[in-house]
Amino acid sequence: MSVIETAAAAKPAVRETPARKRPKLGDTWWRHLVGIVAGLIALFPIWFVVSAAFNADQSVSGTSYLPTHFTLNNFTQILHNTVVDQSSKSHVDSSFLRWWLNSILVSAAAALFTVILAALAAYAFSRFRFKGRRFGMLALLLIQMFPQLLLVVAIYLIVLNTGAIFGFLGLNSFTALVIVYLGGALGVNTWLMKGFFDTIPHELDESARVDGATASQIFWGVVMPLAAPIIAVVGLISFVSTMNEFVIASVILQTQHHFTLPVGMNGFIDQQYGQRWGPFAAGALIAMIPVAALFMGLQKFIVGGLTQGAVKG
Amino acid sequence: MKIVLLSLMNAFAGWAIYVLITRGHWIAVIVLILATLLLDVIYLLPRHWTMPLKFLVPGTVFLIGFQVIPILYTIQVAFTNYSTGHVVTKSDAITQIKVTSLQPPANGRSYTMAAARDSSGNLVLILQDDTSHKNFVGTQKGLKPLPAGSVKTGALGVTSATGYTIVTGSALFALDKTLQSYIVPVGNGAGIRPQTISSAVELEPTLRYDAKNDTFVRISDGAVFHDNGKGAFAHGTDELEPGWKTGIGTKNFSRIANDPLVRQPFLRVLVWTIVFAASTVLISFAVGLFLAIALDKKGMRGQRVYRSLIVIPWAIPGFLSLLVWQGLLNDQFGVVNRIFHMSIPWLFDANWAKVSCILVSAWLTVPYFFLVSMGALQSIPEELTEAGRVDGGGPFQLFRRVTLPLLLIAVAPLLIASFAFNFNNFNNIYLLTRGGPPQANSSVAGSTDILISYTYKIAIATGKGNDFGLACAVSIIIFIIVAVISGVSFSRTRVLEDIA
Repeated sequence: MSVIETAAAAKPAVRETPARKRPKLGDTWWRHLVGIVAGLIALFPIWFVVSAAFNADQSVSGTSYLPTHFTLNNFTQILHNTVVDQSSKSHVDSSFLRWWLNSILVSAAAALFTVILAALAAYAFSRFRFKGRRFGMLALLLIQMFPQLLLVVAIYLIVLNTGAIFGFLGLNSFTALVIVYLGGALGVNTWLMKGFFDTIPHELDESARVDGATASQIFWGVVMPLAAPIIAVVGLISFVSTMNEFVIASVILQTQHHFTLPVGMNGFIDQQYGQRWGPFAAGALIAMIPVAALFMGLQKFIVGGLTQGAVKG
Repeated sequence: MKIVLLSLMNAFAGWAIYVLITRGHWIAVIVLILATLLLDVIYLLPRHWTMPLKFLVPGTVFLIGFQVIPILYTIQVAFTNYSTGHVVTKSDAITQIKVTSLQPPANGRSYTMAAARDSSGNLVLILQDDTSHKNFVGTQKGLKPLPAGSVKTGALGVTSATGYTIVTGSALFALDKTLQSYIVPVGNGAGIRPQTISSAVELEPTLRYDAKNDTFVRISDGAVFHDNGKGAFAHGTDELEPGWKTGIGTKNFSRIANDPLVRQPFLRVLVWTIVFAASTVLISFAVGLFLAIALDKKGMRGQRVYRSLIVIPWAIPGFLSLLVWQGLLNDQFGVVNRIFHMSIPWLFDANWAKVSCILVSAWLTVPYFFLVSMGALQSIPEELTEAGRVDGGGPFQLFRRVTLPLLLIAVAPLLIASFAFNFNNFNNIYLLTRGGPPQANSSVAGSTDILISYTYKIAIATGKGNDFGLACAVSIIIFIIVAVISGVSFSRTRVLEDIA
């Protein structure tokens, strides 16, 4: 089953069917009840994050349904690195903006190269018939079952030893982190993209070839533009999962200046819910809005992509 | 374009090869040269058979470098004793043991010291015995007395010595390394060694290395320490520190199977990992399906609003939600306890922490199964349920006999994939409870640790030393479990038939 087919299958869910007759409220009241309760549970933590972000009291214990004293102070503190610990009254060194930029930089680079690497491999599997093709596809699937998470010890030791020789590829290096992430670029992504490429008619390649286009011209000029939907899906899934990645980032990035958002925020709030909750909530709100917006906007595509087997964490 | 990229790569490889040669990493040099040549051949030969390779190679390079090699390395480390105290090679370990075996002898002397140059510029040590205040000059050949009064001392140590120039300032700091290895022999293997830049003590070895038999002999009682084959010199159960890294066969695996200190936490963690993954998936699927059924009513008002709200937890970066929940569930000042007037130790009691982990994971996973169920429900042909209704089936019967079986066919592979994913869902545990609360028996494994977070703690994040060997062995066991689960799942779906 290809992505297109899945997306098509899921489509009626999105399109509002023209109402024959709206059911009476008497028949659907329990459905509304379920919807409202589920919506409230889904919103519960977010509601309190918003409330805490605008609340003058910086402790979790001061958080309630609505801010007791409205303030933007939490945002100023987290953005300008002027967070004051509520119990010790001392300045807390955090680098929220830098962590955020680091995260976006690393995730964007990982997503960009993941798409390119996976698309190249998928194109080979989709268009060429060669010895070991079936074996290659299977091998990808098998190797990918060993998630990089499990390899964290080996990866740590490798990066440590590489860094002793090539400093720019050692601990604290974004290049090293992105390169490590790219080790997991193929696998599921290649399968997803291959499924999509299979649905692009071969005749298009053929006619381009007849017109004298080289293989790389066909790939970049004909196939890739047509594959925009699957590129969006793979790119976004890769971006978001890199954004969420904690373990490998936490062992490779060791100084505050180099942290990504998960590593930084985890260290910032660790056991400090009484003292730093307000600025934390403000930072969390800033960080979650763009990703959530992107996700909601592209929901339609992603559902189709995910039902192919990838699972977002 | 191709040529530019290729020449950049070759230039980089050339530089890397040069660096590796200067460091003497010959195996790496050979691998790198072969890899570079292979890449050049693939991209420069206009042969037909290199065509697919041109597209496959870029991703494969990363796959091999950061997926395949780490897998092989993990397997290799799993069969070694690589851990705190067993990090270096054997020859480094021997050198270190020799150094650490140095002890002050019974009547050992300590000296006030200064580094100095003699008349011909050679480095010597000016020494004044701290108890007898006799003066000496020490060279690497031995100790010679100096006349009384020829050495003057002040608050900062030796200030001048007749016939010698005291080294001071930056020249002294430049000698730091030299001084550390400067030994003035005084017989019987003992020697005077600088301790700081202004003091020295007499030290003698307590162990003697016998290179011929590859043993250490304790000088005081003649006890012999043999290489015990497990990366240490041992006399009975008495081991010399440090040990070295060496292969120990399947000992890490047999420790998991037999050593009660490892087996008990491992089994407990394994059971909890399965419980956690299974209940997260089942609860999320049940709730997601229920929501999908409840909201799957044609023409219902507000359907789209409800749907957007329910999907929200899925759209927010998971690590943020988890850290937020950690705050909300705090038992002292957490919002949940306050608002519902409870005082449940959500994260600080072993059992409640487990409940919290499952509930929060379900909160994160329900939207996924809601969307999946929604899509699957709508792909079930209406004729089937209609036919069931005509045959006189009630709504519950219809659901059990018609809808659910059809739904499961579509969703089963996703349930298994989600189980495999949650089996290794490090974030959901570590960012909520850190694997805690700690167990009473002070094992590395906390009450809510799953296998992957347990591995992480064994390897990296505890104050109890790093046991890379054991961590890699656990990784391999996790892999086998996940591979079996995935294998079953794939053999039961048609994924593999799509390759053709």
